[in-house]
Amino acid sequence: MFKVGSKLFLGVTGFAALNLVAYVIFVERLAIGGVALSIVFAALIGLSAAVILVNEGDDEVQPRDASLTGASMWPIITVAGLVLFVFGLIVAQVYFIFGIVVVLAALAEWMVQSWSESASDDPAHNESARRRLLHPIEFPVIAALGLGVILFSFSRIMLAISKSAGAVMFIVVAALVLLAGVLFAVRPSLKPALVSGICVIGAVGIVAGGITGAGVGMRTELAEAKAEGHYTHRECGAEKSKYFDKKAMKTLSLRSNVAAVVELRDGKLTAEVYGFQGTQETISVPRANPVTFIFRNYDDAERRMVATLGAAMAATASADAPSEKHGDNNETCTQLIPNGAEQALTITYNKPSIAQDTPFTLSVPGIEGQSIEVLVP
Amino acid sequence: MNHERTNVPEQRRGFSVNRVSPRSLITRGASALGLLVVLASCATNAPQDTWQPKGPNAKLIDDLQQPVFAVAGIVGIIVFAVIVYVIWRYKDRGQPIPEQTHGKPALEITLTVIPALILAVVGVFTVRAIFDLARTDDTELVINVTGQQWWWEYDYPVQNDWGITQPIISSGQLVMPVGTKVLLRETSRDVIHSYWIPALNGKRDAVPGRIHTLRLEADEPGIYAGQCTEFCGLSHANMRMEAVALSKEDFAKWIANQQAAYQAPAEGTLAKEGEAVFLNQCVRCHQVNGLKRPDGTLAIAAPDENVWSGAAPNLSKLMTRNTFAGAMFDLLRAACRDDVWKAESAEFGAKYLAGVDETCLNVNDLRAWLRNAPAEKPMYANPALLTETNGKYRGMPNLGLSESDIDKLVAYLLTLK
Repeated sequence: MFKVGSKLFLGVTGFAALNLVAYVIFVERLAIGGVALSIVFAALIGLSAAVILVNEGDDEVQPRDASLTGASMWPIITVAGLVLFVFGLIVAQVYFIFGIVVVLAALAEWMVQSWSESASDDPAHNESARRRLLHPIEFPVIAALGLGVILFSFSRIMLAISKSAGAVMFIVVAALVLLAGVLFAVRPSLKPALVSGICVIGAVGIVAGGITGAGVGMRTELAEAKAEGHYTHRECGAEKSKYFDKKAMKTLSLRSNVAAVVELRDGKLTAEVYGFQGTQETISVPRANPVTFIFRNYDDAERRMVATLGAAMAATASADAPSEKHGDNNETCTQLIPNGAEQALTITYNKPSIAQDTPFTLSVPGIEGQSIEVLVP
Repeated sequence: MNHERTNVPEQRRGFSVNRVSPRSLITRGASALGLLVVLASCATNAPQDTWQPKGPNAKLIDDLQQPVFAVAGIVGIIVFAVIVYVIWRYKDRGQPIPEQTHGKPALEITLTVIPALILAVVGVFTVRAIFDLARTDDTELVINVTGQQWWWEYDYPVQNDWGITQPIISSGQLVMPVGTKVLLRETSRDVIHSYWIPALNGKRDAVPGRIHTLRLEADEPGIYAGQCTEFCGLSHANMRMEAVALSKEDFAKWIANQQAAYQAPAEGTLAKEGEAVFLNQCVRCHQVNGLKRPDGTLAIAAPDENVWSGAAPNLSKLMTRNTFAGAMFDLLRAACRDDVWKAESAEFGAKYLAGVDETCLNVNDLRAWLRNAPAEKPMYANPALLTETNGKYRGMPNLGLSESDIDKLVAYLLTLK
């Protein structure tokens, strides 16, 4: 009843069961990993049952030449995967999952290799059978992994070097890729080994650069910005961040819901409101809904826009625009921004204008007599 | 290759076949088609009919969809006829299977090129229509539209050309002047909704965090019905809207009235008692501009503290509208409503601006709503369901008002004109 095939599948099924039990006990009881392993286990039970039912392997096994069996790297990789698997159980889930993937992939490769080597007495035919079965899977997977490694390496390089060097690097790499492409196109007779050599040298260079970049770490301003938290500084007082929200207009979520673009130019504060022609003296915004203003500074000096929220907002200043008290009113503001820069400010007006003794306004300190009234019906 | 097939007797195939004569088949088909046509023409009262445009934007769409529908219909009939012919001509009569061939380049190219050409022509006109409908540079009046579960809020920004010197806020009915290019700036406070007045334009989603624009223009005074067309929760089907088009003169009167100061009910009246009930119960969520508390301070509603979306309909000038509860119910009784809806263009404005008085008030629905709103319109008002919203309601809860309080409230609401 139990022949080679069924024994193999039953063994793998048992191993999958052990995996599942270990995962549930040591990692997490209710997790997607457990569900995935359960599905693998169930699938293997089905496959084992199918193998037993169709009596696969019941035929008389033909003695074959032991020399037909080639060397295999898959046992070693399977063991490496098992080590990762156990290591992951102790250290971190990511290693555990990676270990499972490696073990399953290696087992699959191992099984197919074993099957193909005994498919016939012709080694060439056996190898061809293996290729036909596995290449459609191996090539895309290996290509995706290789591309991922190269992209990840390139991103490490770009994060490590300065912005200007990054631009140069991007141009140089793109030019080299273009050059290589042109070379391959105009010289189709190039030896495959040379083409492969050029590609390998390029890939190895990028990966080596990526490893170096990862070792160096992110460039200083990125590291500082990450440590500061870009979006946590909204105080109207002293500046606490050099990197706060400078590229607001390039942020899709903000740009798509701009209530108004407020500009300071030639000492005048104007507002452009989507849907209206020309500049507006007032801006009407809905109550209890986040609205975003873009402030653009075209003044020579560094300027900030201040939103006066009124006294009644004190109790209900929204979470996305925490305000601070200035006199009788609450205020929130952008940071000081230089000439030509712009910054977004998102505010939720939870109270209508009629609740205020003083109007909601947008103004710029140091620019007298200029303010935009915000009306909240 | 042997194309002969075994002629299996019908009895051996395990089923019997009732042969239908061709004449009978044609008769049945014609009857079904006739019935379909009759049923399709049954809807005499179809205010949301997309085939009856009442403004230039809707006409633009209609002018596009009519020929596209005709072309698609002709193509559909041809395809249908060919399929029927092929089914009939080559049905199983026990004949040998014909020779199987692969590829017919001329036919395949023809069958690819013809649809491609048709689609290209349709595409050109469609893209042009899309760009025309997306214009904002010729706007004459801007109205902000904010959707939330399950009603629409309209606010009119200051626009001195129209006499709007302070923001106007309303709900349920969008009031606009005829022959005017109106631009709606749509957004949402909670989930995605979609604004659609079929007689005036196509639909446009109202998405939280985004502002989408929609052009509306009505040729004639009247009321144009619409419906939220993006599933938005429990009462999506009850999230309706009406666009009211007034002549420019009548619109100016409406604007003036909307900006008029609040008139408190006279002392000693039932309405004054209703104002007190409103201050105790309703003002937690509903704003009435100008309403003051007994100590003289303005009563400011706090829907942001009580409602999940952060808003509840502003009830200032409630009785100038014809609907309530997200336009699900009419404020006018059926006879009065018909009088407004079916009024001639010249008389429509005056009838609409008359608003709702005691004789025309749909008091039954209004009282039922005040008595137990969630019973009238499905809403998440069950306290057990509020844990996910930090205790905030989605929709109006049952306030447990007494019949006496309801009497007073109805009397008070009638004064909000």
